[in-house]
Amino acid sequence: MNDLLQQLNRVRGVGGTMLVSGEGLVMASALRQGTDENQLAASIGNLLEGTNKICSNYQLGKLAAFNAASELGGIVVLSTGPAFLAIVIDPSANLALLQLETKPFVERITQRLTLAT
Amino acid sequence: MESELERLRKKVENFPSASLYNRLAELARNAGGNDEAEQVCRRCMKEFPRNGQAYVILAEIESSRGKRDDALKLLQTGIERDPRSVNGYMLLADMMVFDKDVPKAIANLRQVLAIKPNDAAATAKIAELEKAHGIAPSPAAAAGAAGKSSLGNEPLMPFQGPMTTAIKASTGSRTATLDALCAEPGVRGALVVDMHGRVVVTKNLAAGQDELLAALSADVARSAQAALTVVGIEKLSTWALTGGAGQVLTFQRDRAFSVVVLADVTVRPAMLELRARQTLIDLGAA
Repeated sequence: MNDLLQQLNRVRGVGGTMLVSGEGLVMASALRQGTDENQLAASIGNLLEGTNKICSNYQLGKLAAFNAASELGGIVVLSTGPAFLAIVIDPSANLALLQLETKPFVERITQRLTLAT
Repeated sequence: MESELERLRKKVENFPSASLYNRLAELARNAGGNDEAEQVCRRCMKEFPRNGQAYVILAEIESSRGKRDDALKLLQTGIERDPRSVNGYMLLADMMVFDKDVPKAIANLRQVLAIKPNDAAATAKIAELEKAHGIAPSPAAAAGAAGKSSLGNEPLMPFQGPMTTAIKASTGSRTATLDALCAEPGVRGALVVDMHGRVVVTKNLAAGQDELLAALSADVARSAQAALTVVGIEKLSTWALTGGAGQVLTFQRDRAFSVVVLADVTVRPAMLELRARQTLIDLGAA
């Protein structure tokens, strides 16, 4: 799985990637050096708990994507079947383009995870 | 048990989350440490005020200490803050049964079914109470007995508790700030929330639903900011979640107010952002 994350890191605007379980546990990580991956995964776990509550209360269906942004960059979390792909994005990233470029990676990760389970 | 407790204590210190607090409190209580469980619950209620389970555990502890009034208040506050707390309604129903207030007990059990339509325990308990007290089964239960169960279609009623968090604007001019946003095709409803997760203005969202969305979106914003902080990014300005059948988008201004929009999945976020920013400007002017 790390090979896919490393490839994804080469996409313009991507500043690091990580595969997280729904409970906020790290499954694979290719983050920048110095980033606390456990802390990030735990925060994303909390985030998923909240977003799932919103989805179930307001009949939004299964969570497909989440993104949080600021002027200095952001984080995109994409559903990959049984897990979630978190992508740290640089401020220069074009979100629409990034969405297109990450789509094949999301499909491949989903495929691998589905086969593994 | 001891090692599991130790492990959880450390984990809660390093990566606090509502579910970890709940588990730690339950383990501590099961190990006979009511005081530690109480401390854990109170800390959880402070850090994750919308986590209903902490209130339920603490209410059980208070009840076991003979402090029934305190337990009742805790449960009411917990349900108001977490209106989908199944365990909260169940415990409240038990307390009502103890008080011989059967209608209230059944009402609480019906709230459980409104949240969890196939909850076997709640269904069985309603039937048992109705039979024991000679109450005619509700039409829903009767339909269920005839093989066409409609139990679980109960509407979730807004909970009337001791705490009111909404500070809705009373003037028409403020609600008008959301008119343009809600007039966009595909927008189901919207609200403006203050930094504490309280509703300031709301439009097209049912009573109770607006406060719940405000509270949940405030929780999500906190978690999102925590995740951003880990990667060195401050000042969250927008977040959006997309589900298979809809989306929620939030736009912030100076961290003081946020516009939360509930929309169809087809709506373009860029267009909504313009409207939401205008709403925040209008609100500032108001």
